[in-house]
This record gives sequence, C-alpha cells and structure tokens, in this order.
Amino acid sequence: MINTMNKKMGIILAVISAIYLYFSFTLPEYPYVPVDSDAVPIVLGFILLFLSVLLYFSKSEESEEEKLPKGEGKVILAVLGFVLMFILLLEPLGFVLTTFLFISINSRFLGYKKWVSNIIVSLALPLSIYFLFVSFLKIQLPSGILPF
Amino acid sequence: MSIFEGILTGFQVALSLKGLSFVFIGVVTGTIIGMIPGLGPITAIAVMIPITYGMDPALALLLMAGVYYGSAYGGAASSILLNAPGESMAVPTTFDGYPLAKQGKAGKALAIAALASFTGGTISVILLTLFAPFLAKVAISFGPAEYFALMLMGLMTVASFSSGSTIKALISATVGFIIATIGIDSQTGTARFTFGNINLMEGIDFLVIALGLFALAEVTSLIRERKERSMFDSEFGSMKLSKAEVKELSVPVTRQSLLGFIIGVLPGAGGTIASFLGYITEKKLSKKPEEFGKGSIVGLAAPESANNSASSGAFVPLLSLGIPGSGTTAVMLGALIVLGVQPGPLMISDHPDIFWGVIASMYIGNVILLILNLPLIPYISKLLKVPKPMLISLVIMFCIIGVYGISFRTFDLFLLVIFGIIGYFMARMNFPAAPMLLAFILGGMMERSLRQALTISDGSLLIFVQKPISATLLAIAFLSFIVPLLKTWRKRKSDGDAEETDSQAS
Repeated sequence: MINTMNKKMGIILAVISAIYLYFSFTLPEYPYVPVDSDAVPIVLGFILLFLSVLLYFSKSEESEEEKLPKGEGKVILAVLGFVLMFILLLEPLGFVLTTFLFISINSRFLGYKKWVSNIIVSLALPLSIYFLFVSFLKIQLPSGILPF
Repeated sequence: MSIFEGILTGFQVALSLKGLSFVFIGVVTGTIIGMIPGLGPITAIAVMIPITYGMDPALALLLMAGVYYGSAYGGAASSILLNAPGESMAVPTTFDGYPLAKQGKAGKALAIAALASFTGGTISVILLTLFAPFLAKVAISFGPAEYFALMLMGLMTVASFSSGSTIKALISATVGFIIATIGIDSQTGTARFTFGNINLMEGIDFLVIALGLFALAEVTSLIRERKERSMFDSEFGSMKLSKAEVKELSVPVTRQSLLGFIIGVLPGAGGTIASFLGYITEKKLSKKPEEFGKGSIVGLAAPESANNSASSGAFVPLLSLGIPGSGTTAVMLGALIVLGVQPGPLMISDHPDIFWGVIASMYIGNVILLILNLPLIPYISKLLKVPKPMLISLVIMFCIIGVYGISFRTFDLFLLVIFGIIGYFMARMNFPAAPMLLAFILGGMMERSLRQALTISDGSLLIFVQKPISATLLAIAFLSFIVPLLKTWRKRKSDGDAEETDSQAS
C-alpha cells in the first residue's frame, strides 16, 4: 500500500509528459535558427517522462497522504465555489460590492458569528482599498454598478 | 563610482522623510503578513508588487526591503508567540523561542530575535556591499554558456537541498520549467502551448504562480485549523536584555552571521539550512547545551541571525549575476523586474544609483526593523487575534487583488485558482513548491542562454564543456543531481541501512 501514491503520481505525470511531448513535436518549424522553439520543450518532456518512471519505481520514505477529516473536503470545495463566484462577479458587479459579499458570506460560512463586526469589516476594508488603489496608487479596480 | 560614493547616494534617497516612511510602512506590513501562519516573505513580496507598480523605483525598493525584513521577523514572532513557524526557515526559532514565551519572557524573546536578525542582516549587507561588485566584475566575462550552466547548477542544488524526496523536487522543477515554455517564443515568434488563447500569448505571470502555490494553497490549511484558538494571551514581559545576556549572545550571533552569509551566497542552500545548521553548531559549541530546547537565549538567537544573514547573502548572486538562488529571491527578482530594474553584472556599472539604492535600503530596512518595529510588536501581535474565518477571507481577497492589480484580467484569476489547487495537492503529496517557482522564473532565462550559446557554437553542445567555468558548473550540477539519486538507490538495495542514510540526509 505504501507505494500506491508514487505509482499513481508516476502514471499521471507520465501521461502529462506524453501530452506535452505530443504538442512539442507538432510545433511549427522555423528554419532560420540553429535551435528551434521545439528543442527545449522536447528535452523537458523527456526529462519529465524519465522522472515519472523513477517516481513510479521509487519507494516512498514519507508517510501516505493524510486523510482529510470528515466534511473538511466539502468546506474547502464550498470556499472554492465562493472564490469562483468572486472572480466571475468581480467585473460585472464591481470590486467593492463583490468583495463585500465575499468577505461577509465566506467569513460567516467558516464560522464567524458576529454579524455587526463582520458587516463593518467587509464594508470598510474594500472601500478603503478601493480608494487607496484608485486615487492614491492610480490603479483602476472595476467600479461595476456603483457610481464611483 | 566608488563603493563609498555609491552608498552615500543610496542613503540620500533612503534617509529622506518619504524614504523612511516607506521603509516603515513596508516593515510593518511585512511583519503583519509574516505573522500569519503559513504566509512568509514570498507571499508578502508578491502581494506588495501591484502596490509598488508605477511608483518611483527608489521608493518602491525601500518599501520592498522593509517588507522583506518585516516578513522574516513576523515569521519569527509567530514562531515565538504561537509555536507556529510560517515557513521551514523559522522552525528552529520555535525550539527555544516558544519555551521562552511560555515562561512569560515573550518580550525578551522578541527583542533577542530582533537583535539577532539585525546583527545577522547588517553584517551580511556589509559583506554584500564588498562582495557583490567583485563578483559582478567576474561575471561580466560570462557568456551565455556560463550563464546557462550557472542557472542549471542553482536549480539542481535547490532541488537536491530541498526537504523530502529529490525526485519529487526535480519533478517540481521540471514542471515549473515546462510552465515557463507557455507563450510566444521570443526567438522565433512561435506560439507555444497557447491553444489559440490570447491570454496565454505572453505566458503566465509569475505573480499568479507565486500567490497560487504559496498563499492560496496555504489557505486550505488555515481552513482546516479555523476552529483552533491558538491565541497568545500570557504576559509579554519586559523587552530589556541584561549586560550579561548581551555578552553571552555576542559571540554566537557574530559567528552565525558570518556562517549564514556564506551559506546564503551558495546557490541552493538558503535560510532553512543556515538556521538549522546555526542551531546545531551553537548547541555543540555551547557550555550549557542542556538549556537548548528549554528556552536558551543562544538557541533562539543563533538560527535567527543565521537565517537573516543567509537571506541577505542570497542577494549576492541575485544582484551581481541576476540569478535568484531561492524561492524568495526569485520573487524578489520578479518584483525588481516589475519596477524596471534588471539585476545582473551590468547593473553596477550602468545603473549604480539603483544598485546602491537596493543596498542602502537593505541597511535602512534592518535599522527600522530594530528601532521602530520592535517597540510596536506587542501591538502588532494583537492582530493575531483576528478570528481565523475573517483572516481566511482577507488572505483570499489580497491574493485576488494582487493578481488583478497587475494584469486586470479575470482569466489570470482563474489561473490563480488553478495554481492554488495544484499547490494544495503538491503540499499534500510532499512535492516542494519552491523549486517549481524558481524553475519557472529561471526557465525563460535558461532557455534563452542555452539557445544563444548554441547559436554561437552553431549547434554544437561541446561549447558547454570546452569552457572551463561552464564545465565546472555543469559538473557540480550533475553531481548534485546524481548523488542523492544514488543514495536512494543504495537505500533501496539494502533496506537495513535505511535509517543510517536517513540520518545522514537530514
């Protein structure tokens, strides 16, 4: 059982290197240079293939990956979902509003129960960052549906 | 420009009111970020990059130097107060720092850590001042073959020195290099592995990788620990040191500062090795080795001065050769390039103001850390009381701002999440992330010099062995790759000897 992780990873990495090698060999040719753009990728692909074979046959001295406690995987996936929503809504809704929603919902979800301080932080922080970036650092963050 | 003149010009910028306040802001911000368990200098520098974007480079450098030293100190502070080292380099700090804090001497421990870091940093920067221009003079004769060999050696030594399996570290480095090949090839204009996506044409920004692999991946372990209330609530105690204590510390701290510098200059070996080695040697040399691990002040000071000295020592190859030797200096290189500063042998002759500006800001960063940050540390550490759920949301937000503030594309944010997921799985399967980041940054440079060298030699690989410097460097690279592999092979052959080789490896 100890070796299963190395074997699994070895196979996955070998597949990745094979795909990478395939795309490296199909790169268009450019005849006017001694070393074309596919040389380095091809070498890298073979190195990765070689290393994944080594990994497959190597005995792991480390313990197997630890199991996540029950339900933790779901919590991490939920946070991942919030982050993806954050990214999707960032440009349409604007930085301040999206960040407000993200901080308040995500913190509440992870177990922060004080509503009042939650709302204050998740409103004050994006607002101050927004104005710091836009007026002081001259970096335009998406304003979205808010008028400023 | 002589060394003296150069330093004076650098200090002129650094000592202005504006300059000082930027270092101060940097040191405090760095301390706060470094204190968050799991987040270290790499994240701190990466998050600050968009903020320095478009700033006067001299001031931005001061800010970065502050962030750099601040985050290292913040890591030490969380090691001492919470027994939670932010990264491997700060692990030996917990051995004696946390026992001291439990004895109610947290203030003293923080003061010793600051003093030791200050001494290590300062001695190291002085040596850097003397050493870097010299190395740059040597490096000016380097051709692409030598550069390629040097970078390959750096990458190989990092991979073989990193904790855990060498094969995994090498895989990590190879994948980093592979990611670097995405985008338009600068020599032929061929679009490689972009799959027609215009967002990938320019390649992937290193910030996406740094923040994804390090900060975002670390969020998952914060999520798992969100219910733990690891707060520091005992007494801080006095921050004063007695004369006898200073005397006791002076010799080990000086010794470790010198040793740390040498380790830092060597590619591959970095702060982690320096701090562990510092702890072990001082324990061996100490008259009271039985105190180590129970709150010895020497045991706390030794790794702190060693790792800070090594971190500054790592700037020697970065500034004089333009080659980073560790994950942290790799991000620093990225930050410098964003500011329009290209480190390398030509920097000292072509842009002496910037070169000496970097050095001066390192001196100032150290001083500010000691005289302004230290008195504030009891107040800054109150921020550790920010509830974990809120902290997690904020770290995620800063990662997203960090990437968006540089690229203004949601595409890069999705990439950030992907690298966060990759980093998460890498951490769970014990693949080190630093070689991947370093290989990604070195990858483009290595490919360029490899192809330049082969253009010069008209395609003959002999150019790498005909030149003595490049041949030597390649030999070292080869050895650092083959020796650990032979070790694992020998271990497989005779399982009974496994324990022995293990203790040798560690």
